[in-house]
Amino acid sequence: MLKKLLKYEWRDTRKLLLPINLAIVAFTLIGCILLNTNLFDTELGVVLAFFLTLFYTLTIVVFSSITTIYIYVRFYKNLYTREGYLMHTLPVTSNELFHSKLIVGFFWASLNSVLTISSFMALGAAAGIRASTTYLSDELSSINIPAAITDIFGYPLPCLLLWILLLMIVSSFFSVLMEYMSVLLGQQMKTNKLAVSLVIYLGMYLLTQIVTSIGAMIPSFFITEEALETEAFFSMFSQMMQILFPSATLLYLVFGIIFYLICRKLLKRNVNLD
Amino acid sequence: MLFPSFLNLLKETNMTLLECKNLTKSYGNHIALSDVSFQIDAGHIIGLLGPNGSGKTTLIKLIAGLLGATSGSVYVKEEPIGPRSKSIISYLPDHSYLDGNMRVQNIIDFFADFYADFDPLRAYDMMAKLQINPRQKLKTLSKGTQEKVQLILVMSRHADLYILDEPLAGVDPAARDYILDTILSNYDENASILISTHLISDIENILDEVIFIQDGILHTHASVDELRERDNKSIDTIFREVFKC
Repeated sequence: MLKKLLKYEWRDTRKLLLPINLAIVAFTLIGCILLNTNLFDTELGVVLAFFLTLFYTLTIVVFSSITTIYIYVRFYKNLYTREGYLMHTLPVTSNELFHSKLIVGFFWASLNSVLTISSFMALGAAAGIRASTTYLSDELSSINIPAAITDIFGYPLPCLLLWILLLMIVSSFFSVLMEYMSVLLGQQMKTNKLAVSLVIYLGMYLLTQIVTSIGAMIPSFFITEEALETEAFFSMFSQMMQILFPSATLLYLVFGIIFYLICRKLLKRNVNLD
Repeated sequence: MLFPSFLNLLKETNMTLLECKNLTKSYGNHIALSDVSFQIDAGHIIGLLGPNGSGKTTLIKLIAGLLGATSGSVYVKEEPIGPRSKSIISYLPDHSYLDGNMRVQNIIDFFADFYADFDPLRAYDMMAKLQINPRQKLKTLSKGTQEKVQLILVMSRHADLYILDEPLAGVDPAARDYILDTILSNYDENASILISTHLISDIENILDEVIFIQDGILHTHASVDELRERDNKSIDTIFREVFKC
């Protein structure tokens, strides 16, 4: 039955989420093509570039928000509103229902994260190549970017990209489970189930943002004018990056698994549809 | 070889289809259903009767597995509520429960995928009689037609137990006739129907048994013929007397 549930979950969610992700790919391709023309070489072109960048950034943020909100709403609406009367009377277990939502939700959240970060990187690379061939001095253009990245981040470029990819995927797993867990916790209330669920989700989201922001800021605590002028700083920074990526990935994974276990525990309780 | 098969058939026919044991459901201090116990055998049409707020829908939701009981238990063919019971119960809620963005044919495919006892040909046949285009999205149909689509889907299953929650509420007399005709002409004789309503005069003639529920308490569970003979009154009249305000 899980296969059948997955089929319908995929069919229903792709209507909105597939066009969104295809749009990210299209924007990225168009952006890369435009960055390889001389469209932005004039003063008017610079203004145009500013507005296009603004539009692109806002669109990406909106797409990412829509993905997050849609996954949350889909889980809640499909299982705990009128549609739940159909889903919970199907001859399937609550675990099968949950796993179908989790697998498909995780796929879309991961795809959106990976495409978003890939889009930023592709456009950044395209802009960098254009700048190095057009505006930058020969000295700056001659910098070996992959080697510089290795010096700063402590990873060879392919390895760094793999770490970023892994972090995006694991954090998506964490995010989707956080959404589902908050819905399930809300369902344990006698009244105001949705409101309680939203409060729990927003509280956990804020907490996650604070913790990750502090984590991301740790390297900057060590930046001083004197340190910047020494080779030792870059060595220390790269060492920190080598700790930050694995530890952040591990933390997301551990909390994701904890959320998953809590969800499984909550699913054992009887459903109570109003 | 025929003898054991016959015994199995006999056993199946006499098997208790639904059993509710000391079923209680409370919401905080409010008791919606209190210590309700009854059994339903195969091959009967049972009217679940009671005024608004008496606990009919709560009882139905407990049987359908949409609510958890505060205490007590429900068994369908001697098994607790779960995927097995859901595979033999065909449930019609008292409101719309399908995704309005789905096309009728997609909903039929959905039912056919999940319910092994669903008969798509029967569903398409009934849709055709009502001139419902299966390619139409559900939300583009009128409210009355949407309700008929839901009923057709539920009655296109060869289920053991049909649970219909207020199928006659809020529809005109002609539609009521269509609904009753659809129910009667599509259910299997070995199956049972538990139908909740307060429009008793409309269904009185088709009922074998009645269950009266009052303030969450089982008031009466008896055969319709017995009640009529005992009181020499119609079920509608008995209901009005029992639930007189």
